[in-house]
Amino acid sequence: MMKPEVKRLHRHMLPTAVLGVDVRADGRTLYAACMDGMYEVSAESGEPKKLYAHESYASGVVLFEETNTLVSAGYDGVLNWFDLSAGKQVRSVKAHEFWSWQLARSPSGKYVASVTGQYLSGGEKYEPAPEREPSVKVFDVASGALVHALSHVPSVQSVVFSPDNRYVAAGNLMGEVRVWDLSSGKLAAQWTTDAFTSWGIIKSHCYIGGIFSLAFTPDGEHLLLAGMGPMRDPMAGNGRQLWQRFAWKENPPRKVDETHAGESGEGLMETLAVHPGGGCFVMSGRLRGGAWNTALFGLSNGALLHSLKTDTRVTRALFSPDGKRLVLGGTRRQPNFDKNGAIPAFGHVDIYEITV
Amino acid sequence: MTDVKRQDCGSVDHRVHRRQFLEGMVAGGLSVASFSGLFSIPAFAEQARKEQKHCILLWLCGAPSQFETWDPKPGTPTGGPFRSIPTKLPGVQVSELMPRTATILDKLSVIRSMKTAQNEHFQAIDLLTRGDAPRPPFIRPTLGSVLGQQLAQLDSPIPSFVLLDPCPEGNEFKAFKAGNWAGWLGAEYGPVRVGGEYRIENIARAEDLSEADHEQREALRRFLSRKYENDRKSAAAASLNAAYERVKGLMSCAHLFDLEKIPQKDRERYGPGTFAQHTVLARHLVENGAPFVMVANGMPWDCHVLNHEIHQMLVPELDQVIYQLITDLEERGLLDKTLVLIMGEFGRTPTLNDARGRDHYPNAWSMAMAGCGIRKGVVYGATDTNGVDVKENPVDQRRLFATVFSALGLDPYQQYDLPGLPSFFRVEGNAEPVREVLA
Repeated sequence: MMKPEVKRLHRHMLPTAVLGVDVRADGRTLYAACMDGMYEVSAESGEPKKLYAHESYASGVVLFEETNTLVSAGYDGVLNWFDLSAGKQVRSVKAHEFWSWQLARSPSGKYVASVTGQYLSGGEKYEPAPEREPSVKVFDVASGALVHALSHVPSVQSVVFSPDNRYVAAGNLMGEVRVWDLSSGKLAAQWTTDAFTSWGIIKSHCYIGGIFSLAFTPDGEHLLLAGMGPMRDPMAGNGRQLWQRFAWKENPPRKVDETHAGESGEGLMETLAVHPGGGCFVMSGRLRGGAWNTALFGLSNGALLHSLKTDTRVTRALFSPDGKRLVLGGTRRQPNFDKNGAIPAFGHVDIYEITV
Repeated sequence: MTDVKRQDCGSVDHRVHRRQFLEGMVAGGLSVASFSGLFSIPAFAEQARKEQKHCILLWLCGAPSQFETWDPKPGTPTGGPFRSIPTKLPGVQVSELMPRTATILDKLSVIRSMKTAQNEHFQAIDLLTRGDAPRPPFIRPTLGSVLGQQLAQLDSPIPSFVLLDPCPEGNEFKAFKAGNWAGWLGAEYGPVRVGGEYRIENIARAEDLSEADHEQREALRRFLSRKYENDRKSAAAASLNAAYERVKGLMSCAHLFDLEKIPQKDRERYGPGTFAQHTVLARHLVENGAPFVMVANGMPWDCHVLNHEIHQMLVPELDQVIYQLITDLEERGLLDKTLVLIMGEFGRTPTLNDARGRDHYPNAWSMAMAGCGIRKGVVYGATDTNGVDVKENPVDQRRLFATVFSALGLDPYQQYDLPGLPSFFRVEGNAEPVREVLA
């Protein structure tokens, strides 16, 4: 594959950290889930308009253009439906007792899935305790009805639907991935990779890390996982920037590839997305050590194609539906209060023009 | 001699003249025999048995976030994602991660205005466990060593200072642990550390060695080493002897360190994690006479990365531990005699770094205490709206230690004269205890 050309068009600052982003098909409007609520942002001017807030951080957002509706999720465990035309909230569903860690929409637009789970001590070495509520929930977007309540081991931090809308997959703190058949709710695959989880032998005698993002390949045959490699001292945050690729339909699922040697630095990778054209995927997060915190990889061979250093922590990366834009949402370090007693804006949305 | 300001709560310590105290120590050769010297005063020993006091220090090493525990600021730019919840104290809220502690907050005192000066772990651990900054060449004993010495019973085989900490690998706390805990008190007042394994290993008497043989060997070893120590004035031999004495004591009380001997239901109530299990063991040791037990678990609270994600797990465990410990001690009639301290070495920054973490912050943080000598249901001091600074009633390490000693009936201003060293005091600078939290 040819090396993609990537050019930053805009950096728009938002008052607080961005934890989730979605973008209209025309690329003109962005929606950001932030620590202090939900924002609509003009891609051109960067003018933010606050729409509403959750009772805690807003952690995820998905847009349904057919109905001009947003669904957002928050650390309050609530999913909110917001009618953009009417400018008002039209439904609120208490999905979880704990945070919604991540929100995903099915390609068909029929479902949203939200994952939760409080990591509580379940053993001497702080093995996660069993879930207290179903960790994965799938809702019908039109009615808000619960379609599936699926079991996993908390905390479940990532979720994604397959391109053919047949499956939903979720990954957790311990590197365990479960894939369910959406029609039946039955488990279709389950495996664990120990590549993303640390037990801090130096400082943090508990489990840290896990799978922070998932993406199916366009043919639905493989799953890409993102996170950070194990660390002896998790507080260093210096695990390897890591993706792994699994042929999940094989029994047992087989690891096909992972970040190539010499092509990664250190830092937590929180987001991963496949380009609509299918030629590459992006992985992004925080740079702890090395040369990049956002990189494009060839989907066919896993080779590093292009890398960026945004000087921020990226929490969400996605491509516009036409594949011409790459959007990165994230945050800088939260600044101290200024002389007026305010904290300067530290969330951001970056918009890149991309040619692949 | 300093102007002694006593917190006279009936402690026998107030009835022992400083000179008597020092004579007791010096007669035995400062470090090794000071313990015996002190308790050779019959009135003191008898009174001490009756008034046996204890201290359990839940050492939250690495430093927890005050925002996610005792001093929540929901809805502020610094507040983080967790909500606050009401407590048994009207108008007082704690983090939603502490629902059980909220129901017994009327039994605790919380200081929300800790303000100290060290923001690096090693130095801050040193400061908050010794109560003052280093003053070379004098090495101030840690709180556990001081209280172990002051509260220990003469005839108890239980170590005066037990440290329960499984930390298996190197960090700042491990480096601190390798240092001199007991300072001038001498090695016998250093901690007996039990960690990783809940049983003390390699201290059972060999099966083929009879009790009589063992005693004879021990007597011979004691004679020879004491002779060597006296002849050579050997600090190393003294330290070794202290270790032998301690092991000998441990052999007779090893069963107390066996978690299996604690009812399973008790263990389950505290929770499955190492910190929780060590805390129930601390309670068990105190029930059986241990004067000072420090419970730690490495330094998991140092959340430079994923602060909220780690606190969502650690605080609920702490919450359960506090609730069970305070409730257990109260039900067993031990709370009035046992001071429980819950603290780390500083707090964490109001703002988040770029790794979702909170960094070190000594400027404004919180700690809690309960039990012996402590008034119930007090929240002392306050921070500003965003938790950036202390708004009222700052408390530093000296005031904290003055409060701790006062609560236990020990004179905070006890003066010590050591050969060749300047005088020093248990608490320097005549620092005032926080009288509002003293019973």
